[in-house]
Amino acid sequence: MKYCFLFCVLGIMHAQDLGSDGVWLPHPVVDLGSSAAVPFQPWAKLKFQENHAKQQNELDRRCLPPGVPRITLMARPFEIVQTPNRILFVYEGGAHVWRQIWMDGRAHPKDPNPNWLGHSIGHWEGDTLVVDSVGFNDRTWLDDAGHPHTEQLHVIEKYSRTGPLTMKYDVVIDDPGAYTQSWTSSSSLSFRRGEKLAEDICLDKITK
Amino acid sequence: MKAPFVVGVWLLALASGFAQNPPLAKDPGPFLQPGDFPEDKVPKQVAGPAPHFPDGRPDFGGNGAWYPGFNGNLAETTWKGVKSADKHVDVPFLPGTLATYNERVENRSKDDPEARCLPVGVPRFMFDPYPFQMIQTRNQVVFVFEGDNYLWRIVNIDSPGNTHPKNLKPTWLGDAVGHYEGDTLVVDVTGFNGLAWLDQAGHATSDKLHLTERYTRTDSLTLKYEVTIDDLGAYSKPWTASNTIHWRPGMELMESICQEDEKSSIHMIGK
Repeated sequence: MKYCFLFCVLGIMHAQDLGSDGVWLPHPVVDLGSSAAVPFQPWAKLKFQENHAKQQNELDRRCLPPGVPRITLMARPFEIVQTPNRILFVYEGGAHVWRQIWMDGRAHPKDPNPNWLGHSIGHWEGDTLVVDSVGFNDRTWLDDAGHPHTEQLHVIEKYSRTGPLTMKYDVVIDDPGAYTQSWTSSSSLSFRRGEKLAEDICLDKITK
Repeated sequence: MKAPFVVGVWLLALASGFAQNPPLAKDPGPFLQPGDFPEDKVPKQVAGPAPHFPDGRPDFGGNGAWYPGFNGNLAETTWKGVKSADKHVDVPFLPGTLATYNERVENRSKDDPEARCLPVGVPRFMFDPYPFQMIQTRNQVVFVFEGDNYLWRIVNIDSPGNTHPKNLKPTWLGDAVGHYEGDTLVVDVTGFNGLAWLDQAGHATSDKLHLTERYTRTDSLTLKYEVTIDDLGAYSKPWTASNTIHWRPGMELMESICQEDEKSSIHMIGK
């Protein structure tokens, strides 16, 4: 019990510390819609079935970034770098890319240039980091299963460090261009203390 | 008798000199104009003292980004008609590396890995026109780059003399261990795959490449970069190149994905 007390206190003390001495490894989620009915619009359902039948995302073969939230659902580690104004997510998998989450209170730009990883702003709700992202292109898939989206995609991610080695990841998909209402998925991540990211250059596999 | 002998020795030396050192390929000449670069359009800023963290470490960050400018040749002060590296270096080429260099310059760098969206590499990141930022935590310096594929590079901060892990897997960016020496961040890098070019001109590397990088913020707007290239697989002795990198106040990095709709490299046929 006294150990639990110690760990619980440490856990609470460090809940807004997303880990500077290791990496996070997602428990992979292949299909965001596996635990709930996905509120597809008819075209999006057809597109999903088409994508799903392909089995492989052609953008992966061309080494393009996986997009959000897929990059956090893959079984590849990433590191979180916290600074007062900005939190960086640095990913080993995908395309050796990074994301920046602005924590300085700014709003999204009015007309963001659609890109692969979006424009992200964040804030803390208690010990949960809430990341709000817009400004995506419509080319990525939301997950390996092939859920599509449009440029209207708005993703809300919630990162809650539930213990020294665990994090809960909740994601809300809000895309009125593809779904009739917003829908959610929950998963978890494990902390690997002392581990470091490796270099993995996707293009090496297709240019040799 | 003496004169012909001297002339003979001289001719022999000349001939063997040519055999070992064919002339360096020439600068292909200006195709870039000075006004092509954003750095030419930035109003002059007034520099303040270099910032530091409360614990005394130099602070390489702030609201802005570093912009190296275009330095197409890290051994020349001008290249393609614009300012290049800080100083000229007589590069101690091994014969094969010189031949490779000359071929690359003469065919207009048509096989440049960077043009195929492969990683820019180290130290080329500090000579190419992609803005970057350095984010310092207690145990790392995280470099984030806009180009050419929105890459990151992590330098682990450790005590001086600390060694790299054994049996490193060869990579584009190598394994980097850094420490602070006063106001200078010193980074030791090894474990390279030998595929990256040191610059656009085409200075080659081998998998024996070992770098010592020195980053010093001399005032709020200036980063002095010096790199010692120790690569006995490509050069007969270590040599040092340098660049002065300028701070762009307020600059933020944008996502830049080279691979997006990449259709250009197949048209690179050289000369």
